[in-house]
Amino acid sequence: MSDIENRTRTVMTKVLQTPAQEIAAEASRKNLAAWDSLAHMNLMLALEEEFGVEFSDQEIADCDNLPLLLDTLRSKYT
Amino acid sequence: MQSRNKSEIGNFPTSVEPTASLSDIIAATDTLEAALPPSAPKFNFGFLRNVTLEGIEPYLCYRMLTNRVRPRMVYGGYGSLMQDLLHPNSPLTTGRTDMLVTAIMLEELDPRYGLPGWTSSRARDELEGVFEALLANGAATIALNTFIVPYRSEIGVMTSSDASDAAAEVTRLNEFVRDFVRRNSPRFCLMDWDRLVHLIGESAATDYRYWYLSRAPFKRAFLDALAKELVKVVRALLGRAKKCLVLDCDNTLWGGIVGEDGLEGIKLDGHEYPGRAFYDFQKTVLQLAERGILVTLCSRNNEQDVFTVLDRHPWSLLKRDHLSGFRINWEDKTANLADLAKDLNLGLDFFVFVDDNPRELEMVRQMLPQVTILQVPERLYEYPALLLRDGLFDTLATSREDRHRAKHYQMEVQRKAERGRHQNLEGYLRSLELVASIHPAGLGEVGRIAQLTQKTNQFNLTTRRYTDHDIQGFLASPDSCVYTLVASDRFGSLGLVGVFIARHRGQTAIVDTLLMSCRALGRHLEHAFVLECMQRVGTTWEVEEWEAVYLPSAKNSQVAAFWEIYGFKPQEQGEQGQSYNLGAPVPTIDPPAFIRIERE
Repeated sequence: MSDIENRTRTVMTKVLQTPAQEIAAEASRKNLAAWDSLAHMNLMLALEEEFGVEFSDQEIADCDNLPLLLDTLRSKYT
Repeated sequence: MQSRNKSEIGNFPTSVEPTASLSDIIAATDTLEAALPPSAPKFNFGFLRNVTLEGIEPYLCYRMLTNRVRPRMVYGGYGSLMQDLLHPNSPLTTGRTDMLVTAIMLEELDPRYGLPGWTSSRARDELEGVFEALLANGAATIALNTFIVPYRSEIGVMTSSDASDAAAEVTRLNEFVRDFVRRNSPRFCLMDWDRLVHLIGESAATDYRYWYLSRAPFKRAFLDALAKELVKVVRALLGRAKKCLVLDCDNTLWGGIVGEDGLEGIKLDGHEYPGRAFYDFQKTVLQLAERGILVTLCSRNNEQDVFTVLDRHPWSLLKRDHLSGFRINWEDKTANLADLAKDLNLGLDFFVFVDDNPRELEMVRQMLPQVTILQVPERLYEYPALLLRDGLFDTLATSREDRHRAKHYQMEVQRKAERGRHQNLEGYLRSLELVASIHPAGLGEVGRIAQLTQKTNQFNLTTRRYTDHDIQGFLASPDSCVYTLVASDRFGSLGLVGVFIARHRGQTAIVDTLLMSCRALGRHLEHAFVLECMQRVGTTWEVEEWEAVYLPSAKNSQVAAFWEIYGFKPQEQGEQGQSYNLGAPVPTIDPPAFIRIERE
């Protein structure tokens, strides 16, 4: 698992208060009840802190699933 | 928040500084809540809002839990302010709300806001309706927000000749809110959003992305600052405001060491720096003294040297008269602090200790962890903000009584000196010429009575915390009554020091509250008070028997057996405490002979 994925998963377990094993590779707002709108806002803010990046309003709205979130982070984080 | 098995989620630190990452703060809250003792109080927030404020939760929960209070939060609908307040099934009207907090923004309140010709009159009308509904609401305390004055003026650099620009209109609306809070304080208090953004700045406070995406306009700095303000109010309501300030002297009240530098060498000056920083710091000490906070000194010095500064230095704002106590000697500061606590009849958890020396502070932190320690910062230019910054001493109201309290403790020193002259306790007590003025409470005493219920911890049989609103309720009901004790002796008045609240059910009278301020103890005044109240209540309500209860707390063990003195018999030991019963209209014991009772 890449460093970005590791760190993203760690932040997700803390913010969504969900154990790592329950966060599938295809985790999304549709299949994870804990990933509600408040958790999503906190998650994006927490990831900005973790990686020192800034998401655009579009990215915030679109990144409702883990694969896309990781892709977005990979493109931003060097 | 759902509780999960902690070992599944992982081992996260339970104590994080507020500067920790958001994810660590969220992770810590579960562990912090689990670590709370069962006696930790609950506190219910209700949010009346037209914007999204849920982002405050991590910061508010963290601050509440580190203050050992369990928070619960409930939110109203979006912009359904009146429905939330008036509908019997709304989340804000069912269940007990300890504090109702508004989060109302003009952008959502008035769709015409920001358009040319906008005035605040429509918003004001709506607010008047909301405020009227709030006055009737059951929440114990209500925190109202001010509106954020626009950052950029729609008329540019010019000044509007008739003050009709948006900034002037919003400022007027804020004055309306502030005035309402002034008139209805302390049940209503202010969350001054405009001042908070003034402190923090637009870019640190505002997240326009989330404003547009989910009507959540605030960034962490603002949310955490607002959480901090809310917790200051909660601490005040729970009777946890600090009451005593203990100050070191050298490099704390002035720059330098008076024993070495002498009166002329120390740095304390109204103009020159660094002396001016110490002078400005002393101003804040005086401000606290004005609010009734006890000011004391604890310094390794010769008394003479310290008092020379206080008495004769041209820039010493602090004078001998301000002090409620001092320990100026070469002994260990921890012992000195414990002595001061005994002298002032005050728990060490009400103390704040300021010193420049990290070794002294560390020793106090280890030996007396309940004392709040503050270090003189290396950045001296930030020193003057130290005492007011965290709201440690904040209460919701001050009364004249607070401001005279320091004088009472000075008089107490005199009384203690007097005590040395008498052979026995009774002779001493008789010599005090005690007078107990006991009467049914008047409306003018409501504030002081509520404050006493919030602050009195030791001589308090039930530790029930009441607000002004609650006391007014007791006064208004025919089935309850409130009596107060105002005590004095030949050295002066002790002020309003006792509260007795009783209810009745048929021919049974029930003691709801009995408390005495620490400073009135040791004189048998409580006996005169209880017997007089029971006599008068018994007659008024024609009672046949009395019920009372002792609810144990961390601090009131001294009154565990109190009711037995009056012939009350213990009944069942309930979940919370021990109940008692007296099968007679009044106790048969006599009041203390050396106390004169004044009735009205």
